[in-house]
Amino acid sequence: MIAREETMRDLMRRSQAGDKQAYAVLLEQTARWLAEFFARKISADAVDDLVQDTLISLHNKRASYDPSRPFLPWLAAIARYRWVDRLRKTYRHAADELKDQHSEGSHEDVVGAKISIDRLLTQLPEGQAVAIRLVKIDGLSIAEACIKCGQSEPLVKVNIHRGLKKLAALIESE
Amino acid sequence: MKKSYDIAALVNDLEPVTVLNRRRPLVTAAAITIAMISIVALLRGVRPDVLAGNPDAMFLIRSGILLLLGGGTAHAVLGMASPSVGKAHMNWQMALAVALLFPVVALIVALTGDMGTAMSKMYTVGQCLMFSAIGGIATATPMILHLRRGAPTSLARAGWLVGMASGGLGAFAYNIHCPFNNVVYIGIWYTLAVGLCAVAGRLAVPRLIRW
Repeated sequence: MIAREETMRDLMRRSQAGDKQAYAVLLEQTARWLAEFFARKISADAVDDLVQDTLISLHNKRASYDPSRPFLPWLAAIARYRWVDRLRKTYRHAADELKDQHSEGSHEDVVGAKISIDRLLTQLPEGQAVAIRLVKIDGLSIAEACIKCGQSEPLVKVNIHRGLKKLAALIESE
Repeated sequence: MKKSYDIAALVNDLEPVTVLNRRRPLVTAAAITIAMISIVALLRGVRPDVLAGNPDAMFLIRSGILLLLGGGTAHAVLGMASPSVGKAHMNWQMALAVALLFPVVALIVALTGDMGTAMSKMYTVGQCLMFSAIGGIATATPMILHLRRGAPTSLARAGWLVGMASGGLGAFAYNIHCPFNNVVYIGIWYTLAVGLCAVAGRLAVPRLIRW
């Protein structure tokens, strides 16, 4: 069972004062909370890395928590930032591959499929959402995606490029 | 939990921290602004009407709006160092809306053909922009340092706001010398000074505060 907001806030206050015992409990509880938080956003095999990254960010940025405010919204902001950062890396990775024209047929480049973006995809223009879903989530090659959605090859690439960029902006602005 | 995270190392590394407080960078930015005003007064002089203790109404309005824009935006952007989902730092929007009155009014007046001193005094624009930019860089420094210590989650917005706040404070410092009261002049050139600082902030600040 994950601790409640009041308990977490108190643990964080004591951690900021240097209480290592409270900090150990806080990190354990936070790791559980984060695992649930990310489970709804990314694939299971990417959750552990993201939780660890976020714990390190919490550690490095613990002075930025204002103890007069709730703890979980602060933690959620830190976690979301790390998630967006992951998405940006995914975007850059995908953009580089599109520039290099090596994305077809590769299974390693389907990093986009690791990110659960169903809700966000509904906020993209139809063409971009379809291109991202087919290539980055369903794992089709660019050529296969062209046949399936009726878009030309350059258009599919442009739609993926623009769509991923817009997704990162959408998450950041939420 | 599927994995045991490396919690022990983080616990061992724990030291007490001082909670971030935006008061100190705000006071520092205010002190730098006062220093900039002194430098402008020393190098370029103070407006005669201010020296005489009878400042023009346009000068007072301009000063108030620039201070509101710079101070309000600085307050908002410094708050971004302590993030929280659902917490909005929107007080800068009102300050910006008020500041936009100048360019809007300038546009309307200019459309009537009355440009006043806006173009004939263009030779003064260089120093206006230079002092605003120097003041902007100086006042941006404590804001950037504060954001680097904190955890801003919207880097692009933080960049815009640092630029706008520091541009507003820099222009406020130069404003003590600027002898022009024409609304078109203010609407064009002050907007340009603050706008350029905002663009510079957007371009430079995100890479300085990324974490």
